[in-house]
Amino acid sequence: MIKALAMEFQKIRRRKVWAIVAALISVQILLALWGVDRMDAHELSQGWMHFLYQFPILNSIMMPVMAAVVASRLCDIEHKGQTLKLLHTVMPAGRLFAAKFLCGALYMLAAALLQIMVIVSAGLVIGFEGSPPLDKLLYYLLFTTAVNLTILLLQQVLSLLFRNQMIPLTVGIIGSFAGLFIMFFPQNLGRFLLWGYYGVLMFVGLDWDRATRIADFYYVPVDWTGFSILAIMFCMIYIIGRALFIRKEM
Amino acid sequence: MSDIIETNGLCKQYGKFLRVKDLDLKVPGGAVYGFLGPNGAGKSTTMKMLLGIARPTAGTISVFGKQVNSRNRLSILKHVGSLIESPSYYGHLTGAENLRIICVLKGVPDRDINRVLQIVRLENQKEKKVAQYSMGMKQRLGLACALLGNPKLLILDEPTNGLDPAGIQEMRELICSLPQQYGMTVMVSSHLLSEIDQIAANVGIISHGELVFQDRLSTLHERSRTSIAVRTQNNEAAVRIFDEQGVSCRRQDDYLLLPKLSDNELAGHISGLFESKIGVVRIEERRKSLEDIFIELTGTAVSL
Repeated sequence: MIKALAMEFQKIRRRKVWAIVAALISVQILLALWGVDRMDAHELSQGWMHFLYQFPILNSIMMPVMAAVVASRLCDIEHKGQTLKLLHTVMPAGRLFAAKFLCGALYMLAAALLQIMVIVSAGLVIGFEGSPPLDKLLYYLLFTTAVNLTILLLQQVLSLLFRNQMIPLTVGIIGSFAGLFIMFFPQNLGRFLLWGYYGVLMFVGLDWDRATRIADFYYVPVDWTGFSILAIMFCMIYIIGRALFIRKEM
Repeated sequence: MSDIIETNGLCKQYGKFLRVKDLDLKVPGGAVYGFLGPNGAGKSTTMKMLLGIARPTAGTISVFGKQVNSRNRLSILKHVGSLIESPSYYGHLTGAENLRIICVLKGVPDRDINRVLQIVRLENQKEKKVAQYSMGMKQRLGLACALLGNPKLLILDEPTNGLDPAGIQEMRELICSLPQQYGMTVMVSSHLLSEIDQIAANVGIISHGELVFQDRLSTLHERSRTSIAVRTQNNEAAVRIFDEQGVSCRRQDDYLLLPKLSDNELAGHISGLFESKIGVVRIEERRKSLEDIFIELTGTAVSL
């Protein structure tokens, strides 16, 4: 498996997958950091919650696009060079599927870790009140990565099954808008849409007072039921997607 | 030598269309086996089934004497190199990088890369990106990839496709040399009869998914017998005279076809016609070409 994973990285040499991840993350970080230098004392006291509220919302737009692009870059090389028919004679199809997913997953994990690093360093530089809430940051890493990887998995299945990469990319973009849009509806509705899980698994709420124009963030209990449903979705997509890929004839 | 590939009742159905029907292939070891058939006859589908990248609807496949199933498929394929339809490659990587990936996945030592590059004469182009290769070079890289690990069996699907005449000649020579130099068995498909005629010792002809001929190429050549075509001014009377002389003949258009005769025998029979006052207007020697046999077998005009 390690050999297969190493070969996935070898295959994407000069494809600059990291550059796409870096570019999308940079845009997201710039959006997140916009205006933080004008924070007042009240806002600084809730700075950590501010980020933990804002990042999942930005993630629902950016991460599905990133997952779609990463999966497409990893799978497109096989379609372009018609290499699947060769690979199927030298390695089990299931191992290829797993190696590709692991390769993409490492990029998505790196993106989430980069976000955590930015949240912590920006918070410390700006002077948020209190030390970084490590437990909450770990929850953020866990939930963001879980949703990212499930979406990446779906994108990989589509990218492997369809030669035309416009199909998975369109699904990714529509999914990202749908995920953002569904946040305006009751949380239970978000559970029906994979891309809505950035919102479902948010553990910071916002209380906006129209009269005083003051925003108050507060922690809400983690939706472990939602997390369990997401885990089930992941397993189902993996089992079905892998079976479809193995059954596909060249 | 025993059969390296053997299939029994191999079938492949796509929708309602039976693409390959009850194929009983027997590919003997240590020689080039030409798998010949018109476009769309089912050659690639059959080869894909041999490699396990298409699932047979019915029938069994044995390679190296072992019946292939999903569990032992990859262990058998460790000794098989293949090039199906067009070559497989990563265009953004160099030739050597492409081969290294397959080397690692096949578990073949890295030093084999230079060996196969030398065989296909690509050693000077190995650091060039494959996207910049010509079609012929890509095809040779595909062959190099198939040769990695010195497999006992090579399955090549139309390997001369897209090559210029010099490239075709070079590829043919290379394929012909593999059984002698490396002891490989090569199964090569083509829709070109002339090509198979030049490289194969054994031949299987497939038409509309069915195997219509399978034997040594020399057996096919034996079928290309010579006959004498005679045209007279009264063919009915000529037939009677030939019958009286004990010569079997059959009509074809305006001609009477006689079996191959010596010059003296033919001169004697023709004199008989003159004596009976039957005017002889044409005497031709006709040889049934391989193409005629191919068309007879497949019902399809051969590509030349």
